[in-house]
Amino acid sequence: MEMLRVDNIVKQYAGHTALDNVSIQTKKGEIFGLLGPNGAGKTSLIRIINQITGPDSGQIFLEGREIKRSDIEFIGYLPEERGLYKKMKVRDQVMYFARLKGLTKTEAKKRLEYWFEKFEITSWFDKKVEELSKGMAQKIQFIITVLHDPKLLILDEPFSGFDPINTELIKREILALKEKGTSIMLSTHNMNSVEEICDSIALINKSKLIVEGGLKEVKSQYRSHTYAVQFKGMMFGFANALFADFSLEHSEQIDDDTAVAHVKLLKENKLNDLLKTVMPVVEIESVHEIMPTMNDIFIQAVTEDSGESIKQEGGEDE
Amino acid sequence: MSKIGLIINREYTSRVKKKSFIVLTILVPILIGAVGFAAIWIGMKEQKHFKVLVSDPDDICGGKIFVGQDEHPPATFYFTPDDLGPDLFDTEEYKDYDVYVGVGKNTITNKTIKAIHRDEPNLNTQKYISNKLEMRLEEYFAIDQGVSLTTYRKIKQSFKFVLQDIEDIDGENDSDRKAKAQAVGFAFSILIFVFLMVYAGQVMRGVLEEKTSRVVEIVVSSVKPFELMMGKIIAIGLVGLTQFLIWIVLIIVILLGVQAFFLADMDPAAIQAMTETQMGTELTGNAVGNDNEIAALIFEQIQWPVLLTLFVIYFLGGYLLYGSIFAIVGSASDSETDTQQLIIPVMIPLMFVYFISFSILGNPDGPAAVWGSQIPFSSPIIMLQRVAAGTVNGVEVAISVVLLIGTFIFTTYLAAKVYRVGILMYGKKASWKEIFKWLKH
Repeated sequence: MEMLRVDNIVKQYAGHTALDNVSIQTKKGEIFGLLGPNGAGKTSLIRIINQITGPDSGQIFLEGREIKRSDIEFIGYLPEERGLYKKMKVRDQVMYFARLKGLTKTEAKKRLEYWFEKFEITSWFDKKVEELSKGMAQKIQFIITVLHDPKLLILDEPFSGFDPINTELIKREILALKEKGTSIMLSTHNMNSVEEICDSIALINKSKLIVEGGLKEVKSQYRSHTYAVQFKGMMFGFANALFADFSLEHSEQIDDDTAVAHVKLLKENKLNDLLKTVMPVVEIESVHEIMPTMNDIFIQAVTEDSGESIKQEGGEDE
Repeated sequence: MSKIGLIINREYTSRVKKKSFIVLTILVPILIGAVGFAAIWIGMKEQKHFKVLVSDPDDICGGKIFVGQDEHPPATFYFTPDDLGPDLFDTEEYKDYDVYVGVGKNTITNKTIKAIHRDEPNLNTQKYISNKLEMRLEEYFAIDQGVSLTTYRKIKQSFKFVLQDIEDIDGENDSDRKAKAQAVGFAFSILIFVFLMVYAGQVMRGVLEEKTSRVVEIVVSSVKPFELMMGKIIAIGLVGLTQFLIWIVLIIVILLGVQAFFLADMDPAAIQAMTETQMGTELTGNAVGNDNEIAALIFEQIQWPVLLTLFVIYFLGGYLLYGSIFAIVGSASDSETDTQQLIIPVMIPLMFVYFISFSILGNPDGPAAVWGSQIPFSSPIIMLQRVAAGTVNGVEVAISVVLLIGTFIFTTYLAAKVYRVGILMYGKKASWKEIFKWLKH
């Protein structure tokens, strides 16, 4: 079931295009990773979804119908640049934001107490924000984002500035919200967390969408058909057997007669062909495919895209 | 409560609960009360009885001065036929006397009475001594010249020059009274100027604070930027009105309290003497009767309900106008230092208007005053002077108010456009050129 659909969004600022015909789609109950280098246009897109700014053209659909102003009550947004009113007491502050999201006073109070008890921070109620540490303030910001029980949660760099313990806590909460059926859009540079929690991703570079899909499909799309082969025997003989059909990318001696080789299949060759080639010369112990990490995919996709755009720009000059 | 209501509520309560607001709101009336208290207290303290020794070798006064039926005269006169001079007066023999006055034939010729004092008598006592002596010398002079005292006093009366406007020939609006009434309006001008600076400045700092603390993006994900900006501007305006209202009430209460505390035990003559003294120091008038004129001005000629209503209207209008411009500056800046540069083009005209408000004193019908009271950027500061002076009609005021309202709607519209772009531009200060570009978005 579709949660959010972004159709052909274009946004231009004086002198540059922030989003160039970007379309993405997220499913209900999934964690969607919105990736891209700094300045790619992620925050611009997030602000448009949150109706903080409007697009020059294109449409946004929430649960299949075009988004309207009142829908912001169904969205929880944790911006990358976030802060709180320094002089305001924690309790008043959370109540204020909850009520701005349309909760009644009683409902807001009930949920505030639930979250504060859950995080065991009820002693902070009467503290002013300026008395809190950065990590403490970020917990409050997280509570403010989720207090009104949004259907769609948009988190822009949610882990930046958190220590590892709090990062784990927030990660756990994000997964718990997903279990409850909340759809989550996560913008982050932390590729490890993308691997850990995202179901699908979109990669934006220089205002354009360059990669989109489920995490598994994207990984499969970017697989390099490289296998790690562990064997007993001589590395020299193994390498010689490969000829021009395979490429030895990396090798490592584990002990006197055991080694691991990373072999990339070239041309139309399959794993079976590789095994047939090397089985006569060494004794194979194990074989597994080396899948690209999100980090590899990110770097590869962005570099290739930037390379192409540089080429295109060069071509135009000629 | 609507979202803008929630914003107004937060912005308003967070400000009126601030210590600085409470201190300032209570302290100002107390200070004004304290000044009034001190003035009366000093006045009372100086009510020392003076012994005046009149050295009269030519026997001009004949050893007596008519003092009337004053039960508590501030001074008593004593006479000596010896020609003392300052040196002898300074000896042990005359140490009981506070003031020495030398009177002789040449006093009549020179029309100058010289008095030497130890402790300086207050203005009231000075006036008493000089009045009584002058009257006695006039008697002598009239008889010496062979005219009756009544004739002499008739001749002595000076001519009064009365300037009248052809439009107002019945004389109700003479220029002298107008100037004095305008001075009351001037006080309101200055008050509006100060309020505009303080509260428009608060709008600017409030916007900047939300931007630098990065809370603004969280807020505008729940409310429209326009709602946030208007909520803030309205709330701060209400804070200003609250402060003004509290001041008015407290000042009245404190002044009444001071009056009741001090004046209850005093006899009416002393009160009158004191009032004369105070009025005498405030105005350049030299004859008894000035106090009545001022009292009439303040209590009868100034239309307080009109003036106070217009004060509120012009304060709100001017505040919304300048508040929205200050909001532009706050949203386009990234630090307090940035605002100082961006605010210069706004402050120069405002300071210019401030100086104009001084230059039109005494000339509430001049071109500067007439134009200044219509142009929306200056009318909140200038118009009240003309209203107090009574030189404008309702139509002029209505035009000026409509112009002001129209202009602040326009500046608010512009501010909203700049604000929604500016508040999310982190880490850079925009120039006025860029701000104009944002308007085209």
